[in-house]
Amino acid sequence: MSEPKRLHPIAVLLNIIKSIKELVIPFLLVVVIPGKNEGIPGWIQPLVISIIILFIIGNAFLQWVRFTYRIEDGEFRIESGVFVRKKRYIKFDRIHSIDISEGIIQRIFSLVKLNIETAGGSQADAVLSAISKSDADRINAFISEGKNANNPFDKDKDEVADNEYAAKSSSVFKQTLPQLFVMAATSGAVGVFLSGAIAFISQFDEMIPFERIFKDYEDFIEMGTIILTVFALLALLVVYVLATLSMVIKYASFTVIKTDEEIVISRGLLEKRQLTIPIHKIQGIRIMENLIRKPLGLATVYIEYAGGSMEDKESLSIMLFPLIRKRHLHEKILEILPVYETASEMTPIPKRALSRYVFRKFLYFIPIIGALIWFFRPWGYLSLLLVPLVIFWAYMQYRDAGWSIEGNLLLLSSRFFSKQTLIMHRSRIQSITYKKSWFQNRKELATISASIKSGITSRVGMVADVEEKDCLIIKSWYLPKKAVDSQ
Amino acid sequence: MEPENRISNKALTVWKISGLISCSITWIISIAVLVLTIIFDWTYWVFVALILISIIQSYLAIFLIPSVKWKRWRYEVRNTEIDIQSGIFVIKRTLIPMIRVQHVETKQGPLLRKYDLASVEISTAATLHVIPALDLAEADELRHYISRMASVEEEDV
Repeated sequence: MSEPKRLHPIAVLLNIIKSIKELVIPFLLVVVIPGKNEGIPGWIQPLVISIIILFIIGNAFLQWVRFTYRIEDGEFRIESGVFVRKKRYIKFDRIHSIDISEGIIQRIFSLVKLNIETAGGSQADAVLSAISKSDADRINAFISEGKNANNPFDKDKDEVADNEYAAKSSSVFKQTLPQLFVMAATSGAVGVFLSGAIAFISQFDEMIPFERIFKDYEDFIEMGTIILTVFALLALLVVYVLATLSMVIKYASFTVIKTDEEIVISRGLLEKRQLTIPIHKIQGIRIMENLIRKPLGLATVYIEYAGGSMEDKESLSIMLFPLIRKRHLHEKILEILPVYETASEMTPIPKRALSRYVFRKFLYFIPIIGALIWFFRPWGYLSLLLVPLVIFWAYMQYRDAGWSIEGNLLLLSSRFFSKQTLIMHRSRIQSITYKKSWFQNRKELATISASIKSGITSRVGMVADVEEKDCLIIKSWYLPKKAVDSQ
Repeated sequence: MEPENRISNKALTVWKISGLISCSITWIISIAVLVLTIIFDWTYWVFVALILISIIQSYLAIFLIPSVKWKRWRYEVRNTEIDIQSGIFVIKRTLIPMIRVQHVETKQGPLLRKYDLASVEISTAATLHVIPALDLAEADELRHYISRMASVEEEDV
């Protein structure tokens, strides 16, 4: 595969779509909004528009002509650029993940889009927007092969190989459709969807003469607020169903396949995505239990890995298990990522920390409640109802905070709304910090935090008000023998 | 058992000067308000409040905070790890294993240069840690040392 290759010609179309997407806002600003200007001949506008369109098409074509890729000397080489020639050479062992996705256009021509991601950072990654499936597979095979060949200093490999007994490329995790529905229904994506919908509708506020419409239906409105409420609830329900469906479509046929060196995650109904992550790039895993899922004994597991790109937010937090029963978690992790296998018995934080958790919440809420009472005199007293709520919240945070050390693993769990448990391997922790304020010092408590690399920045696990002695235990676990036995 | 090295005692002067600079902004605002108060015959309490704030800020930024911060600041670079302690009201201890260090650099702003100081910045793959003020020679030496120790061990991210 050392001869330079071009993308499938359909890439021209994709280029056109891409530049139209980029240009649509400035285009609207320049062409549509000024409308018909006096003094400018009528033929100018169509001319300008057609010149722009011609330019876009020509540019897309040239981009396709100039874009070549090849594999050479253990590197993936891309040359591109119309006016500015770019040559991007990516070493195989710098590649962190391979993401294969199929948009609708790609699917029509049975092509795929291949996204090669390197360590997060400023340098852009390689995107092959349209290549045939067989080519993608070949590149994939080439890269993982090449990586094994010239990656002798890969430390985790022995460890992984030792623990490995799962059959080669056997599918190990599949999300069933009913599970997906539960996952989507409890995801909280509704909130995002709802605010999106509201923003969208408010766009039409000026175009649709709401007031006039409602004037005609004034009698209808007078029929009572009950009907309106029913309508509002119905609308909410529709939004909820839509949000759930869109999540289901996005994560449909979610499958995790484990091979010797890699984890392959594929999902999607309309747009298929397949993500290949080398196991040795995984920095840690994160278990999230949100407000609804936790009482149901369900959790979501994410992979923290050193890769992903800024533009593609999804690549920054990767779901390993969208939804899993907490009691199956242990064996599933053992199956897929044996390094992160834990029994996860957490050491709770001491009782005397509870008052600090409550106090910290009150620090914010007392002024708010005070202000509400002061400004909205009679009704403001209702805000006192927040007090038990806040205490309960603080108690939940206190109860779910904890830490644990198991062999080479450090587990830190804490809660804001959702409970987060971060599982980190000692050889992946970048630094450990513990701090204590004067008040904490008096109670012999401290706040411990550990950071690992995740995406382009870091993921920090933090537990407030841990027993100070425990911080020292964690510290001494982290430091002394470290350099010796992780090698 | 605290880390044993302190940062340069000239750092105290540097912090006091930068405190002075940040305070001068509040003082300028206060004086401007005084002038306006006289010209337009405003009520005086705004000005009085501003003066109070300026005085408190000056005391904190020029005297109290630099000295407490300096007393707290300690670091120690051992063969296998870097141990940093900092903080004013909250004492913070950070541990960075040598093998995590990606690169070290020293930096000098105009103020630090005047006093022949430099700050040392230690980056891991995910985090950045700064030792704020060391004598230039010491900073250079530390940079060399850390970079030498860090390159002994090579590890993937």
